[in-house]
Amino acid sequence: MNGRTKTARSERSDEKPGKPGKDKAFRDGNDKADKADRLGKTGKPGKDGRDGKPGKGGKGVKGAAHAGPGYQLTAETLDVADDGGLALYEASLHGGWGDGAPVLAATDERVHELLAATPYPGDHVIGALPPRHGLATVELVAINAALAGVEPAGFPYVVAALEALLVPEWNALALTTTTSSVTPMLIVNGPGRDELRIDYRAGCLGGAAGRGSMTIGRAVALCLRNIGGQRAGETSRTVFGQPARFGLCFGEWEERSPWPSLAERRGFPADDEVVTVHGGKGVFPFADVNNDHPRDLAHAIAKTVAFPLNNWYLELTGESGQIVLLLNPMWARRLGEAFPEVEDFQTYVWQHAWQPIDVFRPGNAEVLRQKGRVDDKGRVTLAARPDQFVPVVCGGLGGLHGVALTTFVQSEMQSVAVER
Amino acid sequence: MGTTTSLRPPLRVRLPVARPPADVGAPSFTVDGPLRGRTVGLRHEGSWRSWMLIVDEWQRYLRDDGARPHVLRAEGRVGGEGERTRKNVAAWAERVDCGVSGLGTCGSCTSNSVTDAVALERLRRPAVVAVCQEFETHARTMASFLGHPSLKILVLPYPLEGRPADDLRDIAAEYYPKFVELLGATR
Repeated sequence: MNGRTKTARSERSDEKPGKPGKDKAFRDGNDKADKADRLGKTGKPGKDGRDGKPGKGGKGVKGAAHAGPGYQLTAETLDVADDGGLALYEASLHGGWGDGAPVLAATDERVHELLAATPYPGDHVIGALPPRHGLATVELVAINAALAGVEPAGFPYVVAALEALLVPEWNALALTTTTSSVTPMLIVNGPGRDELRIDYRAGCLGGAAGRGSMTIGRAVALCLRNIGGQRAGETSRTVFGQPARFGLCFGEWEERSPWPSLAERRGFPADDEVVTVHGGKGVFPFADVNNDHPRDLAHAIAKTVAFPLNNWYLELTGESGQIVLLLNPMWARRLGEAFPEVEDFQTYVWQHAWQPIDVFRPGNAEVLRQKGRVDDKGRVTLAARPDQFVPVVCGGLGGLHGVALTTFVQSEMQSVAVER
Repeated sequence: MGTTTSLRPPLRVRLPVARPPADVGAPSFTVDGPLRGRTVGLRHEGSWRSWMLIVDEWQRYLRDDGARPHVLRAEGRVGGEGERTRKNVAAWAERVDCGVSGLGTCGSCTSNSVTDAVALERLRRPAVVAVCQEFETHARTMASFLGHPSLKILVLPYPLEGRPADDLRDIAAEYYPKFVELLGATR
């Protein structure tokens, strides 16, 4: 533990349109009063989260007394043939508690190893996970993490991610039940990325095969399935789902960012290990070789993410939600030269993320007018504020490509510091 | 190989599934009387134009029956919008005698419609949630998960969106008596 209180941070929702400036409140995403409010009310979702309301903290007392081998596991047991994993895999498929891929054995020894990696007792309740509002005890979370293959040092990231998505403003009930493809996408900052093999370089969204990336996101998805009861076609009405529903966790290549890291911008010290959870509707790639000037590149990015069927255009306003813009390090360097302050980049993208009303067919245009989404210049702006465009530097040095993690809109990104 | 594995003792593992929470089973309520003189809440999200048209039609029907319709446009669920919505839903629930919350014709909008109908039931107001047929099961599941398994559900045809306005007016006329019946009211 680092001795500091863990903080759960949310993107500001009260920024007025316009240039945000370089004031600390904008940079941090929260002012002090807001921070105190969040620390007191939303930092620890509790067991009364059944209504999606902030809780009073979980059951149990933090400390080693209940976390080690002395803690008595309470989850039900199952005996399977010790045949190298096939019987376990088939049991997970038959019992509906797997995700379709092979799982590892959640033996008592393994679960205790994971529990020992957190300061929480096994019976500590992180919160009630929607849609079924099952109580996420640290023990159950550890069991799911064991299935996914999370190593003990990575387990606190799973806990932090669940704490983040249980903050009411993340809107977990809607996100776990929607017809949309949205899923928790985990972005990791801090010094633990390399040790845990949380991918942030080439192939960080898939293919790099880092253990941290591949197991932590999967563990969170398994928790939603097995504790929250999220099942496609049943409690979840998702039409397509998406590959990231197996779990998506990657890091920011902070060292190659021209700006403060995502976690720093959200108010955490650079040496904190922080998990930010974005309700990401999808992984939307784009590419460019036609723009030499970084401002032109930023302009093209803005127009690209303002595609006409963006979820933001479904809404009555563009006030809520964020879109994450993954910038490869080569682009980030160029953009950093043109926009030395990240807020300048965000403002520029926000100012150009709109479509002319003529892009939309008459019926669609009329709906947008009725919703008040068309300004007096005939522009349909995507979002209400610059801070809703969240750049994160990651990916390989090949350049050329960027990715948008598009938004569900009705979900505010949350960040929680990892506790050990 | 089979012989080797069969000699090993079985592997004991822990199951990762949470026990379902105790079913609270909050009661539902009925009007048990005429609509006349009552304030009837009609909730929409401003998204589904089909439902907004039906709400417009039902306002007229309610007035004809001597009731006072009170429409709520519930907006976003998070940030500043969310704060406004929670405040408006609470005020709406306080002000009406009974109401309908809709439309459930997607996953999250069904969850939200059920949540706002439950806000009425928590104040002991007779409540109905309106959903399209495709989302009926989801609405029942959500109501149970929120501790209100007996929440009344009005099941409308699916899909509603994209139908001509005249068709929607016919549907509004056809389903209005069913809505009143679910409220336990008389005309």
